[in-house]
Amino acid sequence: MSPAVGPGDYVLVNRWAYRSHAPEVGDLVVLRNPEREGQFLCKRIAGVTDSGAYVVLGDNTAASRDSRQFGPVPRGLIVGKVWRSARAGPRGPARPESPP
Amino acid sequence: MPLLHSFLRAIDRASPAPVAHAHCDIPCGIYDPHHAQLAAHTVIRMVDLLGQLEHPGTDATLPQKKEFHSKIARYTATKEQHAEVYKSEVRILWADYFKPEHLQQFPQLHDLVWKALKAGSKARQEVNLQASEDMLKHANEIAEIFWKTKGVPTIKAKAPYPTGRETVYPSLG
Repeated sequence: MSPAVGPGDYVLVNRWAYRSHAPEVGDLVVLRNPEREGQFLCKRIAGVTDSGAYVVLGDNTAASRDSRQFGPVPRGLIVGKVWRSARAGPRGPARPESPP
Repeated sequence: MPLLHSFLRAIDRASPAPVAHAHCDIPCGIYDPHHAQLAAHTVIRMVDLLGQLEHPGTDATLPQKKEFHSKIARYTATKEQHAEVYKSEVRILWADYFKPEHLQQFPQLHDLVWKALKAGSKARQEVNLQASEDMLKHANEIAEIFWKTKGVPTIKAKAPYPTGRETVYPSLG
């Protein structure tokens, strides 16, 4: 999810954010990994399908496993919206490699 | 916000929070088809060396027999290892480097990777020059696509090894 969040950052998640309204495109969310039970992922909502599922993508698309591999995710897997994040330290240069 | 981070870390130590992953694995981003090409050259060389070996004959001395069998064992072991290195390297490019957008641009990749892995298996199982040549051919084709995805032009040149086969190199100058 570089550069929004990086390794070791803390993210505070609002689990109630989507009680009053649905997740919106652009929201940074924490979701349950559809491919691995018990693991959480941090991704950004990129779109909503006709059937109401959410397309989630990493910001660093060259190095992210996301809806491009596991498909859109149902709303039930979305835990909440990232409310605040706390950086682990000064951020180094962005990842050098990004295949087109 | 180091202060907030320290505060949250203190809470995390007292009552650990679950980890949210942002990547699938370490995205080191360092990939190169050269490993696969090099391994193919090694397999070709081992097949050549096995072919050049002369049987010491029935009246050979024990040291001559030992040398003969030792060479067969060494060439075969190296051929096995490097064919496996080749398969592993092709799989890494396939699984970790190439992305869906690359597949759209180069739909022949599916077939190419399949053929490359099959050639690697055949070259392991047999002493088969054609299979080892196929390994290099497919590795070169994968290398051409790989460098195209990076916008790096390539050249074909005779490899400066005893195998001397034409090989695809990135033109980085």
